[in-house]
Amino acid sequence: MKKSSIYLIIAAVVVLCGFYGCNTYNSLVSQDENVSRAWADVEAQYQRRADLIPNLVNTVKGYAAHESGTLEAVVAARSKATQITVDPENLTPEKLAEYQAAQGEVSQALGRLLAITENYPDLKANEQFSELQAQLEGTENRIAESRRLFNEAAQAYNVSVRRFPANLFANIFGFSVKGNFKADAGAEKAPEVQF
Amino acid sequence: MKKVLFLCTMLLTTTLLAATYTPDNLPIPYLQDKTQYVSNPDGILSQTTVDSLNLWLGQMEASHGVQTVLAVVERIEGGEAYDFSMALGRKYGIGSKEQNTGLIIVLATEDRAYYILTGRGLEGTLPDAICKRIENNQMLPYLRDGEWDEAMLNSVRAITKYVDGDDSLVGSSDFEDDDDTGALIAFVVCMAIGVGLVFLGAWYEERKKSYCPSCHKHKMKKISGYTTKNKILGVLTHHDTYRCSNCQFTKELHWDENLNNRGGSGGAAAGSALGGSFFGRGGGFGGGGFGGSFGGGSFGGGGAGGHF
Repeated sequence: MKKSSIYLIIAAVVVLCGFYGCNTYNSLVSQDENVSRAWADVEAQYQRRADLIPNLVNTVKGYAAHESGTLEAVVAARSKATQITVDPENLTPEKLAEYQAAQGEVSQALGRLLAITENYPDLKANEQFSELQAQLEGTENRIAESRRLFNEAAQAYNVSVRRFPANLFANIFGFSVKGNFKADAGAEKAPEVQF
Repeated sequence: MKKVLFLCTMLLTTTLLAATYTPDNLPIPYLQDKTQYVSNPDGILSQTTVDSLNLWLGQMEASHGVQTVLAVVERIEGGEAYDFSMALGRKYGIGSKEQNTGLIIVLATEDRAYYILTGRGLEGTLPDAICKRIENNQMLPYLRDGEWDEAMLNSVRAITKYVDGDDSLVGSSDFEDDDDTGALIAFVVCMAIGVGLVFLGAWYEERKKSYCPSCHKHKMKKISGYTTKNKILGVLTHHDTYRCSNCQFTKELHWDENLNNRGGSGGAAAGSALGGSFFGRGGGFGGGGFGGSFGGGSFGGGGAGGHF
């Protein structure tokens, strides 16, 4: 009689743990999905910027051909950055830092390019250039916003993964902590445009 | 008392500081009245301009579901129109959740900053380059001369042209139709309840009359009756004789009828009062004086702006 009640208690505990485990697993899955979605948006916005660059470079080339050094630096940084993609399943802090560094180089090169355009009044008066610049600014804003949303999603996920006792289940099911974007050291500021 | 003092000091400080607006303290008239899209707390735009803008923006929401907040102030916190617009969008969720077609236009005349911020669903209709083109051609020339009215009127006119050209956007009038149907149903139900109450009241009065106090059955029937009229009071008094068909008990009933207000029995009065009050409410739905609400749209950072 006594033995069977012990078995009953053990069974109840196992069932409860099972329920809790399922619950934790499901919530981790949906949070993981949120992070992946936010990451896809971040990559799409960086891609959008990469797509704008050839057009921008060509427009600037028409007015400032002898600034080839700056122009080539932009193209080089772009092609280097587009080679680094991060799979959403593999968003480790190291991978993310690498990605951020590569994109940061593009930002710096773009910043230098936009700085030299200040010396070309004809270029600045060009309507197409003005609109391209607006697109670039808008894209930088979108990047900042998507990064903010990604960090929010990643932070919510990381808190769930690390909090006790969910972390026990997270370890069993293989959910690991994701990286997030660190504040920029002045490198990724959107290019300032004055009229 | 403390509250009043607090409010007074608040009022005093805000008037003394001539208000640098934050997304939190910027008045949003739309929330009180859904025909008011323009926030013009410093009175920079003329009333005529505000009315025109409200009219156009109202049409744009009805036909294409684009929900706009247009704010013209002297100073904004931080002096950056983009940050201010984004914070506004985040705070209120301007634009419907389905279409994400929110639009925020901010002009800070003292900070010399402006921005047209497009919701995620509006980025295709109003790409950044188009926003920039509108600003370059319709806004900047006037801003430089301080012609704020012209700048806003021309910009919004240009925006409505682009929005009108996009047939994929669905107007909010569809949703409003739903609202009206709901109001109509509520009105009909209330009227039905009112009429029901009138009949119920009349039936109850009749049933009361048929009650026999001797055998406790509802078998009393009117066998004879006459009326007397008091012309001064305007009251018709009924003198009815009832007899119970069960126990032959007879009773006399006297009841007054107000000639100035026929049919004024309790139930009928309550019924018509109920019906009447909902009549008033039903009428109000068409007036459009109700506060609007924002749908929870999101902004991804699209649009264009700058300084002048």
